[in-house]
Amino acid sequence: MRDLRYDGLAKLVLEHSVALEPGQVLRIEADAVAAPLVVPLHREAIKRGAHAYAALGLSGLNELLVAHGSEEQLSFVSPIALREVGSIDAAITIWSETNTRSFSRADTDRRQRQLASLRQAAIRRRDRIVRGELRWCGTLCPTNAHAQDADMSLEDYEDFVFRACHVLDDDPVGHWRRIGEQLQARAAELGGVRELRIVGEDTDLTVGVEGRTWRPAYGRQNVPDGEVYTSPVESAVNGTIRFGFPAVFMGREIDDVRLRFEDGRVVEAEATDGEAYLQSLLQLDEGASGVGELAFGLNYEIDRFTRNILFDEKIGGTMHLALGMGFEDLGGQNRSALHLDLICDLRREGEVSADGELIWRDGRFLQEQQPARPVEHVR
Amino acid sequence: MSDSRVERMADVIVGYCAGVRAGDLVTLESSTLAAPILRELYRKVLEAGGHPLPRIALEGLSENLLEHGSDEQLDWVNPAREDDIETVDVRIAIEAPGNTKRLSNIDPTRQARHDRSAERLRNRYLERAAAGELRWVLTAYPTEAAAQDASMSLAEYEDFLYGAAFLDDPDPVARWREFGVRLAGVAEFLASKRELRVVADGTDLRLVTEGRTWIPSNGQENFPDGEVFTGPVETSVEGEIRFTYPAVFNSREVEDVRLRFEAGEVVEATATRGQEFLREMIAMDEGARRVGEFAFGLNEAVPFFTQNTLFDEKIGGTIHLALGTAYPETGGLNRSALHWDLICDLRSSSEVYADGELVYRDGQFLNDFS
Repeated sequence: MRDLRYDGLAKLVLEHSVALEPGQVLRIEADAVAAPLVVPLHREAIKRGAHAYAALGLSGLNELLVAHGSEEQLSFVSPIALREVGSIDAAITIWSETNTRSFSRADTDRRQRQLASLRQAAIRRRDRIVRGELRWCGTLCPTNAHAQDADMSLEDYEDFVFRACHVLDDDPVGHWRRIGEQLQARAAELGGVRELRIVGEDTDLTVGVEGRTWRPAYGRQNVPDGEVYTSPVESAVNGTIRFGFPAVFMGREIDDVRLRFEDGRVVEAEATDGEAYLQSLLQLDEGASGVGELAFGLNYEIDRFTRNILFDEKIGGTMHLALGMGFEDLGGQNRSALHLDLICDLRREGEVSADGELIWRDGRFLQEQQPARPVEHVR
Repeated sequence: MSDSRVERMADVIVGYCAGVRAGDLVTLESSTLAAPILRELYRKVLEAGGHPLPRIALEGLSENLLEHGSDEQLDWVNPAREDDIETVDVRIAIEAPGNTKRLSNIDPTRQARHDRSAERLRNRYLERAAAGELRWVLTAYPTEAAAQDASMSLAEYEDFLYGAAFLDDPDPVARWREFGVRLAGVAEFLASKRELRVVADGTDLRLVTEGRTWIPSNGQENFPDGEVFTGPVETSVEGEIRFTYPAVFNSREVEDVRLRFEAGEVVEATATRGQEFLREMIAMDEGARRVGEFAFGLNEAVPFFTQNTLFDEKIGGTIHLALGTAYPETGGLNRSALHWDLICDLRSSSEVYADGELVYRDGQFLNDFS
């Protein structure tokens, strides 16, 4: 039976996220398991007059490459894939897996090299996105693997995903536009802040954000979405923070991470589980023990941890901080091969003040934000 | 349970059929239903030192386009797939349908329009193949849909498919080489002839093959295989032919096709079912009413009709003729967006004459060729 929620998600992404126009070339990238979303996305894109096609992966193939490929095969960059980046106007990535742990036992070094082989195309793509030549959005199609990670049945997980995306709303596009207006105003307000102080359980952290740009995320590059983020001043992070949710990186979990910062650098790092892995990540390179991102998670339909960063970093009432790579376009200067998102639950006993003034308590901003000015919707 | 024949098939395809070498770019093209053999092929291509590039299709997308696309969308050729055709060293395409009749309700004129958009790509890949720059293999992976078309259970169909590919044999490659020698003998014999005449129920057809190349098809471009084919002289086809088996094209079946040729062109086309579709296809373009291929099916392990051209055209004791584009390596000059194989069973009351001499009767060449 056709589930119209998938059609709804497809329409939302095409209309709001990538604003697909007639004659544009759209590449839909997904594992074959995402068929329930790929088919309606393609159909709706065709109906909009676009040239749409799917580039599908199949679970198990990259695993074979990492397990059996020669050095040359592991690092091979397809010239066709590189040229393809230049021939498309829009791309939609559907993160859907049949098994989120299929690389758990793979040789980490070989897996890293295989991932590195994709970097050239990724950089070329990012440059086109930044120049406004390519629209991109990442979303998810519910699968049993993701449901399993979230400790849910597939049916419950589908409900969760579609609620988080506001696909069931009367006017999903209208919802995300309103969110955009609110977050835009919030970002403008945070743009005037010099320093934030976060206080919670085992947490008292000050973060300098003066001169940095806050960006509202309202369903353009991620669906679901709902966060405001920036790259903090690299030398101005001090104090301690405890992350209530496990950190997941490359399919491996680190539990109950506690960090102490001095002048922007991690000087103490503990975890109840996976501490050695955490330490190895911190030593990955110079920038790995610095901060690249600070953000407020503001999607209140996402009310639980599901072991998927697309959702977890947007949990309404949380903040997250990423170690490693910062956002250059927001003023961030930290550079690293790492971008490890760590999520801090502030829904109970959480307070955030801005330049001494309390702005957030127990997972909510104290003042509901009214739009300061209308958001530009067209590209 | 995994079927060891899948692994063996992948081994034969990557080694014997495609001859994948270190550094080769190899596209693996199929539907999601072929996942088990795609994984084996991927592994074998890695072992051979090649770079496997999966190109996985999802049923439902072509329906989307054919149902909702504008003319401009139907005409569009994906530059990335064009790049594949220009760049890769090997294409391995695996038929693995989920529903062979899914395009049945698509407007044939829209279908034909879309097919024309792919013509340039196909001609380019045939050109690169004929020049030896690109090797390709068309094969099939057993699915319920294909089994249903063949009126078999999936298990029976698997036995049929792997049997036709000699994969039950302890040394399938040796069998294919041996069979190849016989096919080469048939090709050599036919190459010495100028004109063929096929006589059977409802059929009396003449065609000239002089100056054209007969190609023994020994499992390197189709797998399984077993035919000897050429592209006849375009203006030489004269007479009438009645095709015993339903002709299947783009999910549609046309039954009891009868064609009459004059100077190489179809001048009359009738069918008991699907006649309109037949006529629309023939009217697709200039080349669609001419013959691009004439061939003998010689694989005795394909004894019956399964509604799949890959197998049907190899049925031992049949001939087939394709309307539309010719394979350049035969010397055939006809070009079209169409290549429609029509199969005629010659296993009873049938004769083929070469330059007036009886050379084939009731499905067998009189000469043994082994």
